[in-house]
Amino acid sequence: MIKRIFILLALVGLVLMFIPFLRDFDFHKELSKLSSQYVEGSINDLNTQNVVTSVIVTYRGLDTLGEVTVLFLTTAGVGFLLRKKKASLKTRRSSELLQTASQFLFVLIILTGIFIFTHGHLTPGGGFQGGVLITTAFLLLILADVNLKFNYSILHFVESFSGVFYVMIGLFGFLILGMNSFLDPTILPLGNYGKLLSAGAIPVIYSLIGLKVGSELTTIIDKMGGE
Amino acid sequence: MVNPIYILTLSLAAGFLLTLIDKSGRKLSLTVFYGILSLNVFIIGEWFYRLTFLNTPTVIINTAGFSAPLSINLQLGMQEAFVLLFANLTALLSAVYLFKKFKETHISGLILYLIMIVGVNGLVMTRDLFNMFVFSEILSISTYALITLTETKKSLSAGFKYMIAGGIASTFFLLGVTFIYYFTGNLNLDFIHLGNFSNLGFISIFLLAIAVFIELKPFPANGWALDVYEAVDSGIVSVIAVVNSAAIFFVFYKIMPILPQNFLNVFGIAGVITFFFSNLMGLKQKNAKRLLGYSSIGQIGLLVASLIFTMHLPRSLMYLIVGGFFFNHLIAKAGLFWITGIVKKENLKDWNVLKNNKPLLVLFGILLFALAGFPPFAGFWAKWEFVKMLVHGKMFFVVGTILLGSLFEVIFLFRWFTLSIKGDEKTEHKNISLELSKMFPTTIFAGITILISVLIMKFFYDFNWLHALPVLAVLIINVIDFLPSKIKGILSLAAVLTYGYLIYPLESNIQLFFGIIFIIGSAINIIGTLNRKGKSEGFYGLLLMMIFSFGNLLVAITYLEFFLSWEFMTISSFLLILRGKKAQKASMLYLIFSTAGAYLMMVGFSLAPDLVSNSVLILSISNVSLPIAATILLSIGFMIKSGSLGVHIWLPEAHAEAESDVSPFISAILLKAGVFGLLMVGISYIKHTPSFDIFYWIGWIGVLTAIVGAFLASFQEDAKRLLAYSSMSQVGYIVASIAILSHLGWLSAMYLSFNHMMFKSALFIAIAGVYYRTHTRTMYEMGGLIKKMPLSFISVLIMIIAVSGVPPLSGFGAKWLIYSSFIEKGWYLQAGVLFFASGVSFLYLYRIIHTIFLGQLKYEHQNVKEAPIWFIIPQYIFIIGIMAISMFPNLIIQPLNSIAMRYFNSSIIIDGYTISSSLGYWNGNLVMYVTMGVFVVPLIFLMLFNGRMQKVKQFNIVYAAERPESPQTTHVAHNMYAHYRKALGGWGKPRIWDFWHEVSEWSHSLADSIRQLYTGNGQTYILHIIMYVIVIYFISGV
Amino acid sequence: MIFSLILGFLLLIIGLYGMLTQKNLIKIVIGFSIVDTGTHIIIVSIGYLSGKTAPILDSTVDLANAAKQVVDPIPSALVLTAIVIGLAVTALMLSFVIKLYQKNKSLSIDDYQELKW
Repeated sequence: MIKRIFILLALVGLVLMFIPFLRDFDFHKELSKLSSQYVEGSINDLNTQNVVTSVIVTYRGLDTLGEVTVLFLTTAGVGFLLRKKKASLKTRRSSELLQTASQFLFVLIILTGIFIFTHGHLTPGGGFQGGVLITTAFLLLILADVNLKFNYSILHFVESFSGVFYVMIGLFGFLILGMNSFLDPTILPLGNYGKLLSAGAIPVIYSLIGLKVGSELTTIIDKMGGE
Repeated sequence: MVNPIYILTLSLAAGFLLTLIDKSGRKLSLTVFYGILSLNVFIIGEWFYRLTFLNTPTVIINTAGFSAPLSINLQLGMQEAFVLLFANLTALLSAVYLFKKFKETHISGLILYLIMIVGVNGLVMTRDLFNMFVFSEILSISTYALITLTETKKSLSAGFKYMIAGGIASTFFLLGVTFIYYFTGNLNLDFIHLGNFSNLGFISIFLLAIAVFIELKPFPANGWALDVYEAVDSGIVSVIAVVNSAAIFFVFYKIMPILPQNFLNVFGIAGVITFFFSNLMGLKQKNAKRLLGYSSIGQIGLLVASLIFTMHLPRSLMYLIVGGFFFNHLIAKAGLFWITGIVKKENLKDWNVLKNNKPLLVLFGILLFALAGFPPFAGFWAKWEFVKMLVHGKMFFVVGTILLGSLFEVIFLFRWFTLSIKGDEKTEHKNISLELSKMFPTTIFAGITILISVLIMKFFYDFNWLHALPVLAVLIINVIDFLPSKIKGILSLAAVLTYGYLIYPLESNIQLFFGIIFIIGSAINIIGTLNRKGKSEGFYGLLLMMIFSFGNLLVAITYLEFFLSWEFMTISSFLLILRGKKAQKASMLYLIFSTAGAYLMMVGFSLAPDLVSNSVLILSISNVSLPIAATILLSIGFMIKSGSLGVHIWLPEAHAEAESDVSPFISAILLKAGVFGLLMVGISYIKHTPSFDIFYWIGWIGVLTAIVGAFLASFQEDAKRLLAYSSMSQVGYIVASIAILSHLGWLSAMYLSFNHMMFKSALFIAIAGVYYRTHTRTMYEMGGLIKKMPLSFISVLIMIIAVSGVPPLSGFGAKWLIYSSFIEKGWYLQAGVLFFASGVSFLYLYRIIHTIFLGQLKYEHQNVKEAPIWFIIPQYIFIIGIMAISMFPNLIIQPLNSIAMRYFNSSIIIDGYTISSSLGYWNGNLVMYVTMGVFVVPLIFLMLFNGRMQKVKQFNIVYAAERPESPQTTHVAHNMYAHYRKALGGWGKPRIWDFWHEVSEWSHSLADSIRQLYTGNGQTYILHIIMYVIVIYFISGV
Repeated sequence: MIFSLILGFLLLIIGLYGMLTQKNLIKIVIGFSIVDTGTHIIIVSIGYLSGKTAPILDSTVDLANAAKQVVDPIPSALVLTAIVIGLAVTALMLSFVIKLYQKNKSLSIDDYQELKW
């Protein structure tokens, strides 16, 4: 009971903390200087339609590398925690209809996912979104057949190499263009604005991210699935 | 030079690939793993060297071909390199420590560990706030997962609590970063300034700062951290407590420039509070790892406070303080956590398995001393400078809290230490397995702590090499520890004499006088230790350390040098006392009181004005006028060491429980260090008359010490305890005489000091001999030893005559001088009390000679022999000394007169053998002849005319009725002065003992009730965090 | 958009309330998830500029004056990272819960408080 009172007190305290802030909050009317620079830079320096993508992959590329690392860590962490072999569950086989449909959808979803991460510099979306979509495809398969076994070697291979290539592309920039160019996409030609092959290494990086995210999330879901 | 971006990318790439590499065998993956970790250390090490010693400018690395603030940039300057070097080194060594685990565990364990280090490196280098968030999440997530390296219910639940607490903290961090971007339009630290914020915007900085601060585990929002420390594998926990904390601490350092001053003040105080309370709660802790957890949390609090309070100091000083604390904490804590994993005992009481394991014990000792902030380790210098700075800033409350917290920390750390060495808990003595992979890192870190101390002493302070001598002595003796103890004893004797010769050209007689007490006195006492059999490992090292520190007190030039020697003296004497068989409690008491005294002195010295001359401290102190507070604090500090009433309770324990050949050093010489210090305070005091007469009260304390000590001595059954209380009483006389602040007073104080050194050494050595033969210190179990140990008897007889102050020996002169000085000063009441105390001292002196040497020989002692020659020699040297100054008092009075004349006009006239004061005269030589005559004539008469002597045989006595259970207790020697005790009534109760006992009980139960906060429930911990955020928010008045 | 901002804070408080009051470990994780979502909504909403379009500079946007026509891309970029990290932490939390349940067959947080004081 006393604890309840403290909890309420704490939450009321938080509300009190934020109320003056929210009351007097006024929204910006213009882009900040930094954002405007990003918007212009995206057009002039990077040939990238999607400003968010150029921010994510290039300007804040180190964040994204970190983000990929976080996902990778989670895969490793979940794998580490649930490191015992999981037992096969005895379940009723799901219906023929479900299985066929899911396999059909699987291909479609994978293709959509690939489309999203390869067009990350042009349209909304990108490596993460595409990767997640790919994972949903695998999730669909798992849901259709709980005892499905993946080929871990391939998963690990894709996961590892997409990560290593990402780092290597970063290092190429660093080696070719100088010490301030880690993760610089201009190591590849910038191409024509608005075309698939443009924006330098951005689509390549985003594709690698897409593959990595897809394979990692699949591993996580698979690990947790049987528990 | 390798670009620092590689320490991020290589580890990352290796991390990505490890799963595949592991397919071709764990050996390969382990090679890659350790290779990368070592490479990191190497790269950073090189950078650290360049940035620090070659003055390479700070490197800034932009990414993606754009410069900040457009892109994220990394910065590697000297500070970053320093933090990273030690973080990476700790990480590497921790990994070595975990070698066995890594060999067996799932490959993900290695990956997690490697990428955790990426997180640390990135977190320290990045200048971008959001990037910090990303790296801190990398760090946290890998830590969360690694917690389950040992998969127990405890580690899992601790991990879960850690995750939700960390999750809340990072939510606040994220909110803070978001709003900072909103208000400033920037995420890069170098482009954000306080001026960018409107009033509304301060909340964003607050959220950011409090999130980082919570990660630094402030009290009381830190229950989750304690659970983690307790439950997780030692190797991982050392990374969490050291590497992670270091990185997060550095983040706090990085964001400090954008925090407004009022936030910083609140955080500083919160850090101090954390330090105080975690150390207080540590008092109740029985689990080794949780204990270290409390200490760890406290140290981080101190670190934050020191960072905030030293912000405006000159760089080099700030580096010494913050760097010192940082380093101390980092290295010592990692090492100690590793040791907990080697010993594998949870309960502190089971740690006495260390007793039989010298290498581990030495490492444990070094790291513990370092952690507690004893010299020569980095924490000591940091604490000294920090206290000085706080005192100058008049932040007395902060100083008090920090020092009290430190005292608690010393108590629980050393309780652990003494239990490890002396604990008598019965445990099955399985030998601890010393795996190389675990010992190696621990040894390296112990080595680094020593190395850093040398560097600080050499390059920061540039001490005279004499001040390194105490430590060198320990090291050298440790190297030759395989020699038999006799050889080491003789070498030590030679070393002490050489040392004496080295410092001999002294600037003044007062140094020379105390030099004789400290050095010559010790040298003679060393002869007594030659009786040791076997190797006595470590003994002579500590003994030399103590003796050299005595000597260094004399030649210290600055306050710091004096204090350093003082602390060395405390450490070495503490360890010497601890060598006694049952000395665990005794040594603890000694250490607690000494440390408390040392802290008072530290503040006292910080209050003292700067010295104006380059002479030794004892001389130059006369040119500075100590403020009243400094005088009081220093006096209390010195009086603790000399065992004055109220703070004396350590004294009987320590003197009695120390090994019997150590007691003379402790009792006869160590106490004089306190006298020396008090005299030093007096010298400054008399040259500048303050308004409040402190020394009047010190005088009273001395007088009361003398009488209480005498009474207590009379009631002891234990011979060494009796002598100990007698020392207390005698030093009471000395203190009282110093407090008179007159020529005659100081003359008598020094005279008595010299006398006391000789007779108390001889008495303790005599008792050592008796104990050596009879194996008991309880006096009523002895008796009649006069026949068996005549030489010891004669020595004790002469010495008690010298103590008691009856003619003809030197004690008479001492008493005459003291009474004269008191009467001259007009302290009649005090003189009366002292006179009474002298009467009481006859009681105990009679008791010691009567119960040990006179009366009936006990049956068990039929075959007892005279004490070994090594005990007899020093006694007779002292007898010669006593005799000489009794016959020819001028030998000593004359030089003492000249010393005292430096400070006062002489009040005595020395004419031949006659010393005259305003109250009369004393001719020691004549007194001697007269007394001899008075004694010898009746003796001859008796021998000639009283020939019918009859000896009473033991079995002449017939028990009246039945045989009592323990016949000794019916003897007069048992509870000899029961009637006096009765007469004292309520005054006989050990009130002061009770008082300190209550203090201890109260602080322990306070600690116990506060730690109930940590209920173990994860939700309570979140609640603590949220409430903490709110409270700090409203306190800092955003 | 002040409303989405308020909504974000509201979710934050609701999530915290859940974390503090629910005994079930999974519900605590769900609470954390709600807190996370609240934070993300807050981040996105501060990037909103009324009347402007998404920062994707295709043919519908006048390239010469692009900066005047789009909303702030930075919060969008930040929130993407934040979401991924939130997801990672949630996944790891759930694995802990799974593991705890496997070991001790209990999902109540009250059963995991033997570490204390």
